[in-house]
Amino acid sequence: MTAPMSFADSHHRPTRRRLLSGLVAGMLALPLALGACGGDDEPAADGKVELSFFWWGGEARAELTEKALDLYTAKHPNVTFKKTWQANQGYFDKLATLTAGDDAPDIFQIDDNYLAEYATRNVTLDLASYQQSGKLDTTKFPKGLIEYGTVDGKLAGLSFGENTQGLVYNKTKLEAAKVPLPTTGQSWEEHIAWAKDAAVKTKVAGTQDPSADYKAFWVWLRQQGKELYNGNQLGFTKEDVQKWFELWKGARDGKATPTADVIHEGNQTDVTKQLVVTGKALTSWVWANQMPELQKNTKDQLGVIAYPGDATKQWPRSSMYFSVYRGTEHKDTAVDVLNFLANDPEVGKILGTDRGLPSNLDIRSQVAASTENPSMKQTIEVVGELAKNFGPAPTVPPKGHSTVRSELIKAAEEAQYGRATPAAAAEQFFAASQAAISR
Amino acid sequence: MSPVATTTARQTPARPPAGPAAHQRRGRPARPKTDGIAGYVFLSPWLLGLLAITAVPMLMSLYLSFTNYDVLSDWESTEWVGLDNYRTMFTEDPSFWHAVRVTVTFALVATPLKLAAALGVALLLNRSFRGAGIFRGLFYLPSLLGGSVALAIVWVNMFNRDGAFNSFLAWFGIEGKAWVNDPDFALGTLILLAVWQFGAPMVIFLAGLKQVPNELYEAASVDGAGAVRKFFAVTLPILSPVIFFNLVLETINGFQGFTSAFVLSNGTGGPVDSTLMYTLHLYIKGWNEYQMGYASAMAWVFLLSIGLVTAVIFRTGKFWVHYSDGED
Repeated sequence: MTAPMSFADSHHRPTRRRLLSGLVAGMLALPLALGACGGDDEPAADGKVELSFFWWGGEARAELTEKALDLYTAKHPNVTFKKTWQANQGYFDKLATLTAGDDAPDIFQIDDNYLAEYATRNVTLDLASYQQSGKLDTTKFPKGLIEYGTVDGKLAGLSFGENTQGLVYNKTKLEAAKVPLPTTGQSWEEHIAWAKDAAVKTKVAGTQDPSADYKAFWVWLRQQGKELYNGNQLGFTKEDVQKWFELWKGARDGKATPTADVIHEGNQTDVTKQLVVTGKALTSWVWANQMPELQKNTKDQLGVIAYPGDATKQWPRSSMYFSVYRGTEHKDTAVDVLNFLANDPEVGKILGTDRGLPSNLDIRSQVAASTENPSMKQTIEVVGELAKNFGPAPTVPPKGHSTVRSELIKAAEEAQYGRATPAAAAEQFFAASQAAISR
Repeated sequence: MSPVATTTARQTPARPPAGPAAHQRRGRPARPKTDGIAGYVFLSPWLLGLLAITAVPMLMSLYLSFTNYDVLSDWESTEWVGLDNYRTMFTEDPSFWHAVRVTVTFALVATPLKLAAALGVALLLNRSFRGAGIFRGLFYLPSLLGGSVALAIVWVNMFNRDGAFNSFLAWFGIEGKAWVNDPDFALGTLILLAVWQFGAPMVIFLAGLKQVPNELYEAASVDGAGAVRKFFAVTLPILSPVIFFNLVLETINGFQGFTSAFVLSNGTGGPVDSTLMYTLHLYIKGWNEYQMGYASAMAWVFLLSIGLVTAVIFRTGKFWVHYSDGED
């Protein structure tokens, strides 16, 4: 070989690359070869199939999921499951590692942060053909939920819970101070004015500052006729971001929101850190289906409404999906399992609303009728009411979305701590997200 | 002249006479050549581990650093990109230089403070008094917990707005803030955590202090030296090899800080990137953004930089480290 730079030369590249990637692939294949000793690669002669099934969540979810899968095994004794679950922290590291080793689980849980990352890299099986042939029945699903699982025309994941933005407020504190409760349909300015007034009367910050929150920013953008993304492009301008940051700078200056360090605490996604639960603000910007979980963490009575502005611009967001690994040996069985989990009334009873409001509307009303949990009832009611008027759903966030999210937090916090003007923070965020999306 | 003479004199008899005669004198049969192989067989568990777990993955990461490997795609779509990752790092990634600044600040502040704390406490504990052993154990305790996640969580809660530290300040009428949530102080709390874990270098200092010959202190006393003079003229020079050892180790540790920053910021490096350590930035690039090729390149730049810093420390050692078996 000649100079090192000739590595990039197309004449030399193939051999050199093949050699090296062979070595690399060999290393990656090592655990695979070991794993293959388990013998689940080929369907056995007696038709026995074992599917690996991977999800994140807590103990309660694990119990429900295992029960549901056992029910499938009871009905199809030849199919068993290798169930693996863990906490959300580290889940995607592990999923990525398994995928890198060509050893991804046959069925895995995923969310809209990562769906496009996996789908555009061809890790997920396109479920559209199964949907057309009726093997995967989605006729009872709201249309938006299917759209929000489609990446580049392929159905990359089957939604397992509907969800939409929800503004959760502390009813107890507001009523005690005789402040009128917030209502769906207030404009953003009205909401901020309400929060100022509530802060004075209750001595608690009126509302968490959501300027770092992509889902609030997104709804606000849609109400301005913009989008967070148009395909693989940003759907907004620098000026939009600046306006958004300025809106909340005004709210902070007017003492409608807490101080920057408290806002930062509330910017974490952890349910127990939400300010409406920790008592540091009267409202938190969350997903509506988190409401029952929030209620568990506080003695105060909570309520939930839509985000301010035109609520029809909200959309049915899928709280999470199940995807089938494209490299699985048992595609048909895996899809059948998804079909069963999504549409079987008995399973619906077992899973309840643990992953969000059931996607199948029949099952959802069945669950709503049988639940005893008042905050669950309220959530289903509110989301159901909003869902009637939803416009078209946006597409699933593209590759780079998780970077855009963290860049928004960074830029918004720069503005909140007063280290940057809204204009400078907007400029920074816009440049960083453009880089992240076009990668 | 004389030191040289003594050294040679000391060494000559110690050197084993060469040739087969030596074996005969020890009364053992001459060993067959296969001894070497047996040695490697005994080494093999370690050697295999080194190859499989360290050497090969390292070489792989070197290779990956010249590609656009993204973890999820299959190998066919992974391309050789030459030095692109390295170029991006130095010219297009503002967070890279930010992370370098944060890390250097952390290492430059935390390491000397930690060593000073370790030496100070070691000096106090070097005296013999009742319960000295218990105190040594207590001071070492925080280090046993090491880079543990639990400890970092405790730290975050201690320095939060309603944490123990602010309750302490409240006794003096000072109203504290949420230190861990403030971009001006978050890194400071991490430095404090690192300094607090001074147990490991302290134990090494203690061992070093025990080696200082008492005669030297007595001689110094006879010459009229006070405690301070004794410290600078006797303790420090004799201890300098130990200080050197601790300095190298703790500097490397400082640069590699990860766990506490990860826990404090929930893996983001926040607030406002104030705790974005180099290793954390690398982790985010690799595992959140799936730019594993880039992350690999960062890892290699990191390795070379730490190597360079260590080499510089070694170079300066010539000027301030005194080995007592040397010529003076």
